[in-house]
Amino acid sequence: MNSTGAYRCAALCVEILALSAGLLAADCPPSTLGREETVRRLQQLDQAAQTSMRQGRYPEAMRAYREQSCLAPDSSGVFYALGTAEAASGDFLSARKSFAAADRLEPSNSLPLAMLVRVNLSIGDIDSVKAALWDAAGRFPRDSNFHGAMARFLIQNKQYDLALAESLRAREAGSPDDSARMELAVLENTAGAYDDAIRNASALAQKTGLPDSLRASAAGVAGLSYEGAGQRDAAIAHLRDAIRLDPSRENSYLALAFILEKTQRFREAAEVLEQGRRHLPDSTAILLPLGSDLVGAEQVQAGIGVLNEFIRKSPEEPKAYLELADAYRKAGDPRQEAKTLQDLAQRKPEYPRIHRLIASALFNLTPPDYPAVLAELDRADQTAPDDPDALYLRGKVFLATHRDAEAETALRRSIEKRPMDPGPYYQLARLYQKLGKKDLAQDTLARMQSLKNLPAK
Amino acid sequence: MTRRELLVLSGAGLISPRPSRGSGPQNLSYPLSGIDGTITPQDLFFVRDHFSPPRLSLETWQLSVEGRVSRPRKFSFSDVLELPARQVESVLECSGNAAGGSAASNGKWEGVPISFLLEKAGIGRDAAFVELEGADTGRLLAQSPPLPFAQVVPVEKCLDASSLLAYKLNGLFLPPRNGFPARALFPGWYGMTSVKWLRRIVVLSEEDRGSAFHQSGMNRVYNRVIETPEGRKTIPLTSVQVKSAIAWPYEGMNLPAGNHAVWGFSWTGTGEIRDVSVSVDGGRSWNAAKLDSPGGPYRWVRWTFAWNAAPGEYTLMSRAADSMGHQQPLTRDKSRKDVYELNWCLPLRCTVR
Repeated sequence: MNSTGAYRCAALCVEILALSAGLLAADCPPSTLGREETVRRLQQLDQAAQTSMRQGRYPEAMRAYREQSCLAPDSSGVFYALGTAEAASGDFLSARKSFAAADRLEPSNSLPLAMLVRVNLSIGDIDSVKAALWDAAGRFPRDSNFHGAMARFLIQNKQYDLALAESLRAREAGSPDDSARMELAVLENTAGAYDDAIRNASALAQKTGLPDSLRASAAGVAGLSYEGAGQRDAAIAHLRDAIRLDPSRENSYLALAFILEKTQRFREAAEVLEQGRRHLPDSTAILLPLGSDLVGAEQVQAGIGVLNEFIRKSPEEPKAYLELADAYRKAGDPRQEAKTLQDLAQRKPEYPRIHRLIASALFNLTPPDYPAVLAELDRADQTAPDDPDALYLRGKVFLATHRDAEAETALRRSIEKRPMDPGPYYQLARLYQKLGKKDLAQDTLARMQSLKNLPAK
Repeated sequence: MTRRELLVLSGAGLISPRPSRGSGPQNLSYPLSGIDGTITPQDLFFVRDHFSPPRLSLETWQLSVEGRVSRPRKFSFSDVLELPARQVESVLECSGNAAGGSAASNGKWEGVPISFLLEKAGIGRDAAFVELEGADTGRLLAQSPPLPFAQVVPVEKCLDASSLLAYKLNGLFLPPRNGFPARALFPGWYGMTSVKWLRRIVVLSEEDRGSAFHQSGMNRVYNRVIETPEGRKTIPLTSVQVKSAIAWPYEGMNLPAGNHAVWGFSWTGTGEIRDVSVSVDGGRSWNAAKLDSPGGPYRWVRWTFAWNAAPGEYTLMSRAADSMGHQQPLTRDKSRKDVYELNWCLPLRCTVR
C-alpha cells in the first residue's frame, strides 16, 4: 500500500471492526460511548482530522487523532495517522511513539517502519534509524520497493552508508531498475567497492535502449571507479565515452580533466575543458580548472584571460586569485601579481598568509618596493608572528637595503624556526661575505650544502 | 563551487591515487615523518599481508558466525552497516615491527563490536576462544596445505567493547589492502590478530581446535619464545609492548647546528603512555619530551623534544613508559629466541655541523 490516505481508510475499517473497549491507552479517559456511537464519533473525528491536515492545522489534527486513538486503541491506522500529524507539526518524539505503536499493532505492514526511519532521522537518532532498518530487513527481506525507497530517502538526506546498505538490500531482494542500479554503482564507488561499481556502471553504460544521458552518467561512474582501482587508462576511456554520450554533462569534463591533471597532462586537460566550454558556454565551473590547466600547459596569457573571466563571474573564490597571481608571476608581471593578491586581501582580509604573499610579489618588482614589502610583512606579523617565510623575506629586504644587523637577526630567526630550509643559509652566507666574515660565510654555506644531501621527507 | 567539490559530490571524492592491487602479498610501510598530527592517513597505513589480497564484492561478502553458538548466522555488509557502530582510535602494530620501525599506524576505526555479533548468534556458555578467518588463502608453511589466514583469540578479548568488526578507517571505508570490506580490530593487541577481509568467526570451547589456525601451522608462529633453564617456553603474542619511534631526524642525517625539534610517537597496549624521554648521548642521560597530543588507551601520543644542537656526533634514543609501569627496555632481552615484540630503544646516529 503506497498512499497514506488509502492506508488510513483501510486500516480504520479493520480497526473499527476489531474495536475492543478493554484496550484503552493509559492516558485516555474512560469512554461512555456505546458501540454505534463510537463508530460515529470515529468517523467524525476522521473527517475533522483529515480536513485539519489538508489545511495545515496540525495541532487540531493531532487532537482529533489522539481522541481516535483512545476510542480505537488497537488501530494501527489511527496511530499511523496520529504519527503523521505529529511529524507534520514537528513533534518527532511523539510521532516516533505513535509510529512504533502502529508498527506493533500491524507488524506485517512496512509503512510504520518507513516512517520510524524518517522521524528518527529527523531527531538525529542514527542508532534508532539503524534499528528500524535492521528490523525491516528481518521482516521484509524480499521487499525491493521498500529497500529501494529507503535508499533514495537516505541518499536525499546524505546518509550514504545506510543508503548503501538499503541499496544492497534492494538489489538482493530483486532486480533493481536502471536508476536504482545507477544509485548503487555511485554508492559502491564512494565506498571504494570499485569492482562492484565498475560491473554495475559498465553494464548500464553499454545497455542499448537507455537514454544517452543515463549511459553517460554510468560511463562517468565507471571511469571514476577505474581511477579508484588504479586503472587510469580505462578511467580515461570511460570518461571520454561519457562525454561522447552526453556532451552537456559538465561533471564528465571536470572529472576527466582532473585525472589528466594528476599526471601533469595539462595540455590534454585544457583541451578537454575547452571542448566542455564549447558545449557549455555558460559553465563557470569549467573556467577555473581551464585557466589553471592552460597556465600549466604554458599557455599563460590564455590562462590569465580565462582566470580573469572566472573571477568576474565568481569573485568570491579565493583559489582563483591565487591561480591568477601565480599566472602573472609565470608571465613575469609581479605588479599584476601583487594587485591580484591585493584584490583578494580586500575581499578576504583574513585569508591565511595573504600579506606575506603580497610582500613576496612586491619584492619581485623592478625595482622592488622595499617600504611596501616591509609594510605588508608588518601586517602579516599581526596574524602569523614569527612565520619563517616572512622572516626570510624580511632578511632579504634588510640585506638589500644594507640594514645588516637587522638582516642577520631576521635570517637567523628564520633558520631557528625552520632549520632545514636552505634559503636563509644562503642569504646569511652572502651577508657574512659582504661583512668580510669569511669563516662564518663558509661555515654557513657548508651547512646549506649538507641540507641538499638529505633524504626527502 | 570548485572542481574538487563537484567531484566529491559526484562520488569521486575518493579518487586520490591508490596503488593498483597487485597479485602478491604486500609489505608496505612509510616514514612516520609523513604524518601530520596523530592520525596516520589511509594511504600511509602500513600493510603486512601473508597471502595475496582477495578482491571482495560488497554484494556477495558475508560474515559467518558459527561454532559454539545457538543461532549460527551470516551477516551481510548491509547488516553490518545497520548494526550499532562504535568508534575507537587505536594503534595497529605489526608484531615484527623493527625497533624504531614504521610498521605501526594510528587510526580512527569504526565498526560493530564483535561482542554484538556473538550475542546475536547466541554465544554458548562453553565459549573459550574465537577463531577468525580471512578471505585470503595460501600456504603459510612449506608443508602446510593452502588454507585461509586464521587467528585464535580468547573470547574475553572478543567480548571487550572496543574489539570491533571494523569497516571504516579515518571516516572512510577500509581500503582493499587494509581489509575491505571488513576486518577484525583488537585494540592494544598486535596486528596479526586483527584479521583482514574477515569472512568467518568460529566460536570454540576450551577443547576445540581452530581448524585453519592449527592445520595451517599458524599456531606455531606469532609466539614469544623464551629460553629458560628448564627449556624453551612458548607463549602466544597478545598485548603490544610499550614502544617509541623517532620520526625525525632520520638515521645518518647531517644537521645544521641550532635548534631542532626531535619528534616521534609512543604507544603501548596496556594503559596509556605516561611519559617519553629522549637521549642525545646514546642513553647516558635522558630528557623529558613534551607530549603534544592527549594520551588514552590504545592510541599513540606524539611528542617533541626541543634540541639545541651544537656541532658534533650524536646518538639519539627515545624511551617511553606507560601507566601500567612498563618501560621500554634499552636492549633486547637475550633470552628471547623469536623475532617479535622488538621494542627496545633504537639508537639513531646523526651529525651536527
